[in-house]
Amino acid sequence: MNIERDQELLQGLAMNDDKSLETIYLDNFPMVAKMILQNNGSEDDAKDIFQEAMIVLYEKVQEGNFILSSRLKTFLYAVCRRLWLKKLQGNALNGPIYEDLEEPPPVEETLEAQEEKDLLFSKMEASMGKIGEPCKTILEDYYIHRKSMLEIADRFGYTNAENAKNQKYKCLMRLKKLFFAQK
Amino acid sequence: MNDIHLIQEIERYLDGEMSAPEREAFDVLRRSDSNIDRQVTEHQLLLQQFRANGQRKELLRKMEAIHAQIPAIAKPATPVVKMRSKRTWLNLAAAACIALLTSLGTIAVMQKAAKNSSTAQYEDVRRVLNNIQRSQNALKSDINIIKKAPINPGTFGGTCFAISRSGYMVTNYHVIAGADSIYIQNNKGEAFKAVSVFEDVSSDLAVLRIADSGFRSASLPYSLKQLPILPGEEVFTMGFPRDEIVYGKGYISAKTGFNGDTLAYQVSIQVDPGNSGAPLLDNNGEVIGIITGKQSSSDGIAFAVKSGHLKRLLDELPKDKFSRKDLKQQNQLNGLNRVEQLKKLEEFVYMVKVYN
Repeated sequence: MNIERDQELLQGLAMNDDKSLETIYLDNFPMVAKMILQNNGSEDDAKDIFQEAMIVLYEKVQEGNFILSSRLKTFLYAVCRRLWLKKLQGNALNGPIYEDLEEPPPVEETLEAQEEKDLLFSKMEASMGKIGEPCKTILEDYYIHRKSMLEIADRFGYTNAENAKNQKYKCLMRLKKLFFAQK
Repeated sequence: MNDIHLIQEIERYLDGEMSAPEREAFDVLRRSDSNIDRQVTEHQLLLQQFRANGQRKELLRKMEAIHAQIPAIAKPATPVVKMRSKRTWLNLAAAACIALLTSLGTIAVMQKAAKNSSTAQYEDVRRVLNNIQRSQNALKSDINIIKKAPINPGTFGGTCFAISRSGYMVTNYHVIAGADSIYIQNNKGEAFKAVSVFEDVSSDLAVLRIADSGFRSASLPYSLKQLPILPGEEVFTMGFPRDEIVYGKGYISAKTGFNGDTLAYQVSIQVDPGNSGAPLLDNNGEVIGIITGKQSSSDGIAFAVKSGHLKRLLDELPKDKFSRKDLKQQNQLNGLNRVEQLKKLEEFVYMVKVYN
C-alpha cells in the first residue's frame, strides 16, 4: 500500500537525506517502543534496540543491494523483535513475542551479517582509541569529512600541507597496524 | 621505496590519481609483489571500515537529535478521584453493600431455580466408549504402525482442533475433565500425548498442547471469526462421534445458547456423543464456534461456544508460549467447494481420548 513511499524513504536514507531519516525514525519508533514496553523492556531499551535496527537498515541501504520485500514497518519490527528476543534470552529462542503483524520477513541472515559488521566496527573503534590525538582527528577530517590537507595543516599548526600529509600517512600506518593486529 | 612513500602511492593508485603509465607500472608491481598486493587490499579495507565507522557514528548522532523530539511515553495517569467527605463515603459504601448483597442473593436464587428445571435437558456430547468400539480400536491399533496410543481406547472421547502450528488444540472442558492422561489422534491414526494447559469451566472450553514440544503442523487452513454471525447462516462441522471423522451440516438457529447463554449459539445440526469440541465453520471456512452439547429433549438442537469468546480466552494464555498469529493467517478454505474444504480441514481435527 505504502510501498512506494517506503521506497522513496529508503532512497533518501541511502543518500543521507536527513528528512527521510527523521520520517522513518518518527514513523516507526512508537510501534517498537510499544512492543518492547509490553515485553519487559524500558524506554531506554526501546531506544537502543530501535537505533540498532536503524543502523542495520542504514548500512544495508548504503551497500546499495537492499531489496525491500515487505513494508518498511514490518522489516523494522521484525529486526527489533529479533534483537530484543536475543537480548532477553541470549541466543535461545524460547517462544515468540506476541505478534500482531503478518508473518515476519526473514531477518536472520541480515542480522548474522550485521554481527560481523558490528565486530569490525568495534575493532575499528578500539584501534582509533589507541592511535590518539591528533591522529584521530586528522584522519577523520581527511577521510570522513573530506577536508583538504591545507585546512588540516592550518588547524593543527603544520607549516605546510606536505608536512600534514606526511603526518596523516604516519597516522594511517599506525591505524592499519593496530586494526589488522587484532584478531 | 619506504613505507610512507608506498602508502602514498597506494592511495594515489586507489584514488585514480595516477597517470596511465604510472598505473600500468603499479599494476605490474602489484602482480609481481604479493606483499604490495596485500597492502593495497588492506588499505582499501581499512579505509572502507574507517568510513563505515564514521557514517555509523554520524547516524547515531542524528538519531539522538531526532529522538530528543519524541516526548517521553506517557505513563497511564492515575485516576483523579474527587474527594468527598468521609461521611458521604461511608453512607455510599453501606448503601452499595446492601444493594450488592440483595442483587447477588436474587441472582443466586433465580439461577438455582433455572438450573434445576433445565439441566435435565442439556447433555454434553462426549462419548463413552463401549465395548464394540474397544475391539474396533484394538484391531485398528494392530495395523497402526506409526505411532500407537495405548491399546486401551480410553474412557471418554471427544474432538479437538488445532489453534496453532505448534500443537495447541482447543476442545471442551467436559471432555477432559478429571483426566489422568489425554491422547489425541488424527484421521490417519497417528496418536499424540497431550496435556491440558488451560481450562475455563464457565464456557466449557479447554486448551490442550501436544506434549512433544517439537511438534509442528502445516499452517492452519482456517482463521478465527471475530464477529458473531446471525441465525440462518449455514455452518458445518467435523468431529469424531466414531473412530472415523464425520461431517455434519446445519445452520445457526439462534443467537444465544442453552438457557439464553450469550456466549453460545444454538445450532440446528446433527451432533452425537463424540462431537464435543469439534470446530463449527461457516461456508467461507472460518471457525465460528466450538460444539459443546445438545438439548436432550429434542434432536438436532445443538449448542456451540462462539469463537469470539474463544479468542478472549486465548488472549489470556501466556503470550510467550502461544502464538496467536497462526490463527490469523490467510484463510485457505475460502472459495473451495465443500469436499476440498473437508479434505484440508480434517488434517487439523483430532479425536480426543481420555483416560481416567
